[in-house]
Amino acid sequence: MKERMPNSSALMKQEFLKKWIKGLQIYSSFKKEMTIFERKKAIKLSADVAIASTRNASTHWSRALMSDVSTDDANHAAKIVVAQISGRKVEKYSSSKGLMMTCSNKILRRSRVASRCRRTRGVGTSVKARSIARKVVKNRTRVLKSLVPGGQEMDGVCLIKETLDYIASLRVQVDVMRHLAAAAERLDPPQRSIL
Amino acid sequence: MSSSGRRSRQSSSGSSRISDDQIIDLVSKLHQLLPEIRTTRRPNKASANKVLQETCNYIRDLHKEVDNLSERLSQLLSTIDANSPEAAIIRSLI
Repeated sequence: MKERMPNSSALMKQEFLKKWIKGLQIYSSFKKEMTIFERKKAIKLSADVAIASTRNASTHWSRALMSDVSTDDANHAAKIVVAQISGRKVEKYSSSKGLMMTCSNKILRRSRVASRCRRTRGVGTSVKARSIARKVVKNRTRVLKSLVPGGQEMDGVCLIKETLDYIASLRVQVDVMRHLAAAAERLDPPQRSIL
Repeated sequence: MSSSGRRSRQSSSGSSRISDDQIIDLVSKLHQLLPEIRTTRRPNKASANKVLQETCNYIRDLHKEVDNLSERLSQLLSTIDANSPEAAIIRSLI
């Protein structure tokens, strides 16, 4: 994104890597021997928590993600990972908190004005086409909400802002994980690797 | 998005609808992330749909890749030769 400085992506990658590794070490301290499946879950969860924490609770999606992980009672290690990496106790994040309230109120105010304007206009033949198009957009929006953590509680503007930030963060996460996988592959003698 | 005050036309009722101005904003920003999206001069509901679709697909792809990479890393790190010094470095991370 243009407003970010050129090397902020590199900084973000470093921060993510450090936190990810920290999470993995916490997991190892919990369980010395893990199955491939358990290790995969540990790797993935640590990565998700690490990337979320690089946002420093400044975005809704990152708060929602941390909250989801740490309120999963079945996973004690995960809670510790979140607490250690974010440096604070993470409580259940509900939609009634500050940021969302502001967004919802703004949207509600604007939509009331808009619906007044809309009613005074005449009804034309293109109305049906427009309403179908609106339905499609609404459905797609619903899908997007299901993909972004905490998306269900977001409205219009917030959803878009959060989506952009979330995508940028996911790209960093994928990039670093890819590099580590490539490095690990190089260390692994060809005859032993499982593919 | 500090220009939200200027927007006069907004979507009505349903809180999940996104207005045209917001679509224009999203398109321009997504354009930087996804160069293959074709943008029209007048973003209308049709292109809003396309943008949302591309966005959803992209996020799903990223999720899948994280999952695949986690799987791959989990396998790689279990088969690394325990005796090699470089492996010890990576091992110590996990």
